[in-house]
Amino acid sequence: MSGNVPTIDENSRWAAFRREVGRALGAAIMALIVAFIVVLFTSKTPLDAMMQLLTAPASKPRTIGLWIDDAAKLTVTGLAFSLVFQARQFAMGVQGQVYIGAIATSYVVLGPLGSTWAAIPLGLTAAMLAGAIYGFLPGIAKARLGANEIVSSLMLNYIAIELCNLLMRTDLPKASAGVLTSVDFPKEAVFPPLIPNTRLDLGIGLAIIAVVVVWFALYRTAWGLKLRLVGHNAKFAEYAGIRPTFIMVSAMAASGALGGLLGAMFVQGQTYGKLTVLFEGGIAFEGILVAIVARSRPLAVPIVALAYGYLRQGAQLMNIRTDVPAEVIGVVTAIIILLVSSSFSLNFITRLFRRRDRATSVPAGSVVK
Amino acid sequence: MALLEAIGIGKTYPGGVVANDGVNLTIERGEVHAVVGENGAGKSTLMKILFGIEQPNAGRLVLDGKDVRFARPREAIDSGIGMVFQHFSLVPSFSVYENVVMGSEPRSGIRFDRKKAIAEVQALSDKFKLHVDPLPPVGALPVGQQQRVEILKALYRDARILILDEPTAVLAPQEVQELFVAIRSLVAQGHTVIFIAHKLPEVLEISDTITVMRQGRTVGQVRSKDVTEDSLAAMMVGREVVLRVDRKPTDQSQRVAEVRGLRVVNARGTEVVQGIDLTVHAGETVGLVGVEGNGQAETLEAIAGLRAITAGTIALSGEPITGMSVLDRRSRGLASIPEDRIARGLAPGATVAENLVATRLDEPRFVRSGLLDLKAIRLSAEKLIERFSIRVGGPNYEVATLSGGNMQKVVVARELSEQPKLLLVNQPTRGVDLGATQFIWRTITDARDEGAAVLLSSADLHELLALSDRLMVFYHGEIVAAFTNTPDLTPETLGTYMLGLARQTPEDMKGALK
Amino acid sequence: MTELLITIISTGFFATVIRTTTPLLLATLGGLIADLSGALNVALEGMMLIGCLTAVIVSVYAPWYVAVLSGVGAGALLGLLMAFFAYRLKADIILVGFAINILAAGGTVFALALATGGDKGTSINLQSQAIPPVDLTFLSGIPIIGPTLSAMLTGQSVVTWIAAFLVFAIWYFLYRTPWGLWLRGVGEYPAAPEAAGIPVTKVRTWSLVVSGALAGLGGAQLAMFNYVGFTRDMTGGRGFIALGAVLLGARHPVGATIAALLFGAFDAFAIVLPGLYNWMPSELIRMIPFIVTIVALISFSVRAQRALALRGVQ
Repeated sequence: MSGNVPTIDENSRWAAFRREVGRALGAAIMALIVAFIVVLFTSKTPLDAMMQLLTAPASKPRTIGLWIDDAAKLTVTGLAFSLVFQARQFAMGVQGQVYIGAIATSYVVLGPLGSTWAAIPLGLTAAMLAGAIYGFLPGIAKARLGANEIVSSLMLNYIAIELCNLLMRTDLPKASAGVLTSVDFPKEAVFPPLIPNTRLDLGIGLAIIAVVVVWFALYRTAWGLKLRLVGHNAKFAEYAGIRPTFIMVSAMAASGALGGLLGAMFVQGQTYGKLTVLFEGGIAFEGILVAIVARSRPLAVPIVALAYGYLRQGAQLMNIRTDVPAEVIGVVTAIIILLVSSSFSLNFITRLFRRRDRATSVPAGSVVK
Repeated sequence: MALLEAIGIGKTYPGGVVANDGVNLTIERGEVHAVVGENGAGKSTLMKILFGIEQPNAGRLVLDGKDVRFARPREAIDSGIGMVFQHFSLVPSFSVYENVVMGSEPRSGIRFDRKKAIAEVQALSDKFKLHVDPLPPVGALPVGQQQRVEILKALYRDARILILDEPTAVLAPQEVQELFVAIRSLVAQGHTVIFIAHKLPEVLEISDTITVMRQGRTVGQVRSKDVTEDSLAAMMVGREVVLRVDRKPTDQSQRVAEVRGLRVVNARGTEVVQGIDLTVHAGETVGLVGVEGNGQAETLEAIAGLRAITAGTIALSGEPITGMSVLDRRSRGLASIPEDRIARGLAPGATVAENLVATRLDEPRFVRSGLLDLKAIRLSAEKLIERFSIRVGGPNYEVATLSGGNMQKVVVARELSEQPKLLLVNQPTRGVDLGATQFIWRTITDARDEGAAVLLSSADLHELLALSDRLMVFYHGEIVAAFTNTPDLTPETLGTYMLGLARQTPEDMKGALK
Repeated sequence: MTELLITIISTGFFATVIRTTTPLLLATLGGLIADLSGALNVALEGMMLIGCLTAVIVSVYAPWYVAVLSGVGAGALLGLLMAFFAYRLKADIILVGFAINILAAGGTVFALALATGGDKGTSINLQSQAIPPVDLTFLSGIPIIGPTLSAMLTGQSVVTWIAAFLVFAIWYFLYRTPWGLWLRGVGEYPAAPEAAGIPVTKVRTWSLVVSGALAGLGGAQLAMFNYVGFTRDMTGGRGFIALGAVLLGARHPVGATIAALLFGAFDAFAIVLPGLYNWMPSELIRMIPFIVTIVALISFSVRAQRALALRGVQ
């Protein structure tokens, strides 16, 4: 083929990239407008609240630290969802894997090896292994028995949370009686801070490594190509000699390892340095948003995570400093997911009210059964 | 006055594809009117416009002398137009009568009056000689009966004009005759039938008038008694084409594929392949004949390793491959072109290069210790794009951006990128126009001439007779007849065996079962 | 062990089962309608939760039945929203469902904080109302079984009786009316009803609206009878368990009812067990419904695979 082909190639990619960025930004702007309207009606000081939402995270080194720490965690959960989404699985088990991973880490670092140099690598390994097993379960149940992975992974989330509560209350050494918090992890087991007095720690490094590893696995290895082919068309993959069930299960297990890693990042990080009940605060599910906006592309995940982490942190600070509850961010998140995953575009309002030419017969719900 | 007229119909799809460009069609009351043309000539688009699925950009429709416009099928149905698609629109678990009345159910109050529905369907099927039991679920019926259910559906809605979209494509010759009996009975009772087809002998047999379309335009309207098959074919393609491929002589000396006692059980637990013996030699094409659903597709899938078998052995070049994975079979020289090439043979969201390498992910040329050699993959893709003249901007374009014909070429390019020892082909030209058919026939025959053993399954008997050296007729999962292809072998002879009306003795078969 | 048996076969336990089953049954019926129309409604959880909060807040200012209807309406609106994004804007329905769940989890806390003036945990400071119980003590006049019947059935919520009626009504709708035929046809093979001129998108939209309304009714029952008042995340996965119950109930209203009763019974267990065995950790007991759902899901899937094999659908 002639030499100018790659440029056409790159042009089309560039156009697609701009389209995606435009769509994501459009959705974010729409969501912020809605958030503003909500704030306008509910706050006594709406402008101040919006200012806090939009500027507070970047205002001080401490808040920047909080923001980057959130972004690192959102990156890992976003990667976990990206992996299963690329294989067209709807496993929703990251939350459970986070808890299981954190429990595994806690047992390792509160054990005899916890105050040696091996505490961090062992803690991470244990968390990833436990998460991988927890991700493997709904995968194998689907591959072998046909059990719907959405329902089973959601159930496993609840079980993991209860398990964490149970072990916290009954088995793990507690700081003091009646508190649902473990004793502080040994110093050696807690990620060293990158910048003193901020929450910036080894977790950021782990998130960056995870991005590179997932990108490499998806786009440079045969496993990744097989995974993407299964995601594009499982029947074709089977015909081409790829075992879809193996890919499906291994994708869910790999995603589980990332979920477990996130668990370790929570409890071994500067933020906690110990296990506590309900430490995850719903961040695991927000990986859905990160993965969708990033179109499940690993290299786009950290960028989306930074942007979304900023909003998330802004909402927290707005909650503290004004009369608007932080949970307004849930509304923003939902709107962004709705707009980005649909055929929404900036001129969609005009299309909205124009009658469709004809009814369509695409079975929208046929993806999962 | 004509019953239905389409005047100057134009339809351009978003993206600039002109499907209809000034099309005229005049249907008289009580006739069988055939619309013929190659695939892509615009027949389907025209029918979709008549039935309200698509709206024209230009032109008008006149029904009973009045201008009409159908925004959706419901409006066409209400005006007395019914359509039977090639792919049936039936709910498999619903009974025959439920499928027939759905959308216009007899009611008593808010209740669906089942008794009345059954009686009405029964009466309708008696009146038009479309015999089918109203009670069983349609999923359990053979294709021919499902088609009758579709016709009943249209008649139940008082269709005066019935559009049949390639109704004979899925039928055996004898079933075609039964369909024609029903069509004649419909016309005798005052109905009008529009018949879309590309098999010219059938068109000449059943129709009174023929409209020929080519490249989105009407070429002309003729009385069927005034034309011959050849003149009609010339009108369709605009030039005389002779669909024929010359094959090198074959010596059938080297056995490549040997299947012995193959048995396959499908998901519902019935044995769909019941002890098949097959041999294919190097440089030979063996055609699998049969009405669809008699085990040909399952046999090909079992050989490809896509379907578990319950008994029997499969050998490739003397080596048993029965328990091998798909990849191991492929690495031993097996290639397969699936029936639904776009749904099964491609990953549309992946790039052309990725699609081309998908079956070779165990070869050290492309994958070493689990890592992709992107450069080798791209170079190989560029070579194949050139060799098979696939029209695409480059190997990194997504397959979904290609035209349908080029997508098919990607599949063929991948499967024939290296000379296969055994090539499995299922329905190679279904939904493909005459020009592309010629190309595909040539490609398959070239692979054969180069020494590949080819197993070909097709619903088109002419295709089988044009390409095969030997023919095996499948009926209910067994081979009931075997022929060496000779010029005096006719579709009718094959049809007798396809429908299980006759069966060769083992001695008769021996000659063709080398 | 004997105490356990005595408890379980007591009329009080049956009454508890009926009470715990009701919200779950309503969500299950909602899941069933959506499922038969071809949509896996993963948003039942969020729809229920928003139904809970709406009902609680409205009940402060209006009679209980208005509050219940508001819960139903909120669920229906969410169903409409889901249909709009999934069918009109062609978003993946699973993602739309999770967006609604995220909206519900955050939005209810947000709205609660506004309604209570900053309280994010519970609605304890709101004077919300309960759905009145139905008095059936006259049943004890029936000889022999009368007192037992009366003890079991008296004091159940009005909504429980509505739910029982809805099981029958939905069965009748699905299998005895033309629209039920349409809905099932749309779910199984949409091309067929479309070719027959049935408005497929409209059928699907209505199914999601009804599905949401049923989940909203379940939410109202939960927050105005099982508990009185709103607590954050009070649905506790019931909407997801309902999805499992739809599958376990073989996608039929009667089966779904039996499945919902099974889960209701385990829920009731979780209520009575701590009183009987105080050594048993409450976390373990709370896990039971989720574990049962997984077991049920797996056993259903295995059965379904076999049934499919027998019926001949590939």
